[in-house]
Amino acid sequence: MGEVLRVEGVAKRFGPVTALRNVDLHLEHGEVLGLLGDNGAGKSTLIKILSGYYKPDAGAIYLDGEPVEISSVVHARSLGIDTVYQDLALVDELSVFHNVFLNREILHPIPLLNNRAMRRRAAEAINDIGVDIPSVKVPVARLSGGQRQAIAIARSVHSDARILLLDEPLAAMGVREGALVLDLIRRLRESGDVSIVMILHNYVHVFQACDRVNLLNDGEIVLDKPTAESSVEELTEIVVKEFRNGRRHAGS
Amino acid sequence: MAPETADPAAAPEAAAAGSVAEAAPPTKAARAVELALGRRELSIAVVTIALYVYFLNTVVDFASTENLQTLGTFIAATAIIAAGQVFLMISGEIDLSVGQVFALTAFVMYYLDDAGVPLMLAVVLSLVGASLIGLVNGLITTVIGVSSFITTLGAFFFLNGLTLTISNGRPVATPGGETFTNIFGGGAYSGILWAIGITLALQLVLMRTRWGLHTFAVGGNLLGSREAGIRVRWVKTRNFMLASTLAGFAGILEAVRITSTDPLAGGSGIMFAAIASAVIGGTLLAGGSGTVIGAFLGACVLGILRDGFTLQGVSAFTFDLILGIAILVAMVVDIYVTRLRHRGGRGET
Amino acid sequence: MTDRDGAPEAHSRLEISRRAALAGGGAALLAALAACGKSSEDNAAADGEGAGDFPKTPKYRFVFVNHVTTNPFFVPTQYGAEDACALLKCEYQWTGSETANVSEMVNAFNTAITGNADGIAIAITDQKAFNEPTDKALAAGIPVVSYNADDPNNARLAYIGQDLFLSGVEMGKRIVQLVPSGKIALFIATPGSLNIQPRIDGAIQAIKDSGKDIQYKTIATGAELNEELSRVDAWWLGNKDAKGMFAVDAGSTQSVGQVIEKYKLRDQDVKGGGYDTLPKTLELLQADQLDFTIDQQPYLQGFYPVAQLFITKISGGLTGPAETNTGLKFVTKDDAGSYSANPSRFEGSSKEQKVIRSGT
Repeated sequence: MGEVLRVEGVAKRFGPVTALRNVDLHLEHGEVLGLLGDNGAGKSTLIKILSGYYKPDAGAIYLDGEPVEISSVVHARSLGIDTVYQDLALVDELSVFHNVFLNREILHPIPLLNNRAMRRRAAEAINDIGVDIPSVKVPVARLSGGQRQAIAIARSVHSDARILLLDEPLAAMGVREGALVLDLIRRLRESGDVSIVMILHNYVHVFQACDRVNLLNDGEIVLDKPTAESSVEELTEIVVKEFRNGRRHAGS
Repeated sequence: MAPETADPAAAPEAAAAGSVAEAAPPTKAARAVELALGRRELSIAVVTIALYVYFLNTVVDFASTENLQTLGTFIAATAIIAAGQVFLMISGEIDLSVGQVFALTAFVMYYLDDAGVPLMLAVVLSLVGASLIGLVNGLITTVIGVSSFITTLGAFFFLNGLTLTISNGRPVATPGGETFTNIFGGGAYSGILWAIGITLALQLVLMRTRWGLHTFAVGGNLLGSREAGIRVRWVKTRNFMLASTLAGFAGILEAVRITSTDPLAGGSGIMFAAIASAVIGGTLLAGGSGTVIGAFLGACVLGILRDGFTLQGVSAFTFDLILGIAILVAMVVDIYVTRLRHRGGRGET
Repeated sequence: MTDRDGAPEAHSRLEISRRAALAGGGAALLAALAACGKSSEDNAAADGEGAGDFPKTPKYRFVFVNHVTTNPFFVPTQYGAEDACALLKCEYQWTGSETANVSEMVNAFNTAITGNADGIAIAITDQKAFNEPTDKALAAGIPVVSYNADDPNNARLAYIGQDLFLSGVEMGKRIVQLVPSGKIALFIATPGSLNIQPRIDGAIQAIKDSGKDIQYKTIATGAELNEELSRVDAWWLGNKDAKGMFAVDAGSTQSVGQVIEKYKLRDQDVKGGGYDTLPKTLELLQADQLDFTIDQQPYLQGFYPVAQLFITKISGGLTGPAETNTGLKFVTKDDAGSYSANPSRFEGSSKEQKVIRSGT
């Protein structure tokens, strides 16, 4: 129990553009944290730093209380941090099971792909998170948005991720599909094995799935509240006030 | 066509009750048949056979041993180069300089041999040189960011000039004793056997190894592959090196076959033929999908057309006219058949 | 790979429609090809009498393997072959490579062998590559002659064409007459090619033998006409002190004349000349933009091989081909007139069959 992830004073610049200024964030074990923020506020950048895709210009990251330097995506994965990006990082032409095992393929003793093993384990992984798909052999292009999201999540869960970062998991999804994914996230939370940081836009979703919510504005976390102590209306009010205060720095 | 993917035309839309359906494991024979029938290569194989049958009926001795050997020589070099292009094209790139690497590598082998290097070592070193050209092409494209079309176009001219300069524009006699010549392109079936062997080996790599799978991934979703941690630059560069090395090897085989190492060998003609073979065989110019066996069959289509029309007595002026029409007709039929495959699977009438 | 969860009905429907489409598609392809390709009926035995007083023969098929099949220089060659075939009731095929690609020529040669050609005429542009194919053809009983370009190491029965080296020597002598001293260019389409390299070698020899102070530069111009023009143009712009530009092949010669005309180089007394009588070359010669060109009589390089191969065939090889020099003729401004005034099959400038009256 306790804190699995802590981020202190993280900053990131891209040339003249400052994406993150001074970010402090923490994540408790088994928690689902919702991350809100305007477009361009830096949410994706923060996620990419945690997943090893970018390196921060300043600041520290702690995993289970120990400081870590995440050098690459593969390193992040080995630490148990896995990410599901907006585009899901799925290759449309490849089958479900090849996508589940992308860059983590199971090989035979000779360096050939062990497709049978991958098919079986992929099917198990998808069963485990309680999602229906017709077959692991179809190309993912044939699946619905919700199923594709589920495949991407199953990929991470299967690789024993302890911290799951979801970048807009419900983007461009209809009500029914979105409900399926929210269900899946709730189930994951109940299983208690994984802690989740989720970028969202929809405040209703925040209260449906998250334990706590953070608001990222202008490169900093300006709000940190448990969802149990708030409501959609209150959250909306706070967000509007933050933006109206116009704490926008020049040059971003 | 991506590896191990169920034919989208045949996959039912409705989700089965419960989670993922697990059918009883099929017999090996049934699996092999299904493997063959659903694959993209089937339609082009049909076209190839149809062409062969056509010429069989209209040309005397089309199936004679001598003609099969000649046919092999029409096909071999193009097929070998096409195999490398397939990998590159699937990963989203292209190499226009293969025809020049084709000519240059044979010259490098000649000069090394002339300088006293043992011949087999000269072959190996010249192929290493060819792969270095691929490495440079790959680095310029992936690290500096120039599009591969432009990078390899530049390489095309550079290598052409280089070959002409070091050779003074003159052809030389290809080195090699009897055994060497027989194995590396001089023997009656040497070229085509190399082509078949390379095709099968590379199809295996494409469909059954991480190299091949990541090639598809990078071509299908570059950003996503990078996000998944795949080293996309290395995947592409590796494919550039493969394409160049195969082009160099094909060049050596041809130089041995015609016993003359010629600075004008290869060129844009064989480059277009190789790319055309790949596309005819089912590899998309846009990337993400392809097959080496298909490219081999594509080379067969081109080779059969060339050999067949020459035997029929078609003269040079009308040759290209007829070749162009024949290729278009063959591809139209191929697309028609593919569409029917998909429509039939979805149950539409 | 089909999914085993697929409904069996859809599967068999798929199979039937696929098979039907393949059969229909295959039939359509064959029909289309039949419309395009040449029929093999032409190879049937000629009915009725033989040509002239000759006995009846099957319609022999002679294959010409050429290195630049679409180059205009060889148009009269094809006319010559065509006329000889009409005369002797046989047929010819014109094949090879468009870009002097030796590999393609070897392929065409081999195809001619497996296709049981009755005779093969090959332009031997490479020292080694055609030796094995020639041996194979002769072993299969197919007579082989070379035309336009030759290598004595090849086992061909005879060479029909110009003595290349000697023609180069004559051109060299003419050059020395025109440009006693100074810088000149010698343009050659594809260096090393056996049909033109000996000419430059001959010219260089004659220039050296003359002992005059002439600095000659050898420049390659490429096998295709439009490229040759650009190369000559570019060279001139970088060498405006040159006194003369000469070439050893048809395309480069025409390009030299065009460049001289373009920059009005005759005002600076720049000399020019070369080979062959392309219509444009003759035009430029008449307009005094060139000093000479050498006619190697390409029509004969098509006519004689057919005639000689025909006789070889009907005599069963008893009377075989003979070395034939198709001649070397300097054409100057005065002669150019009668060439241009009489467009003919012999120069490739007209398709018409007619008798050309000479001035004498």
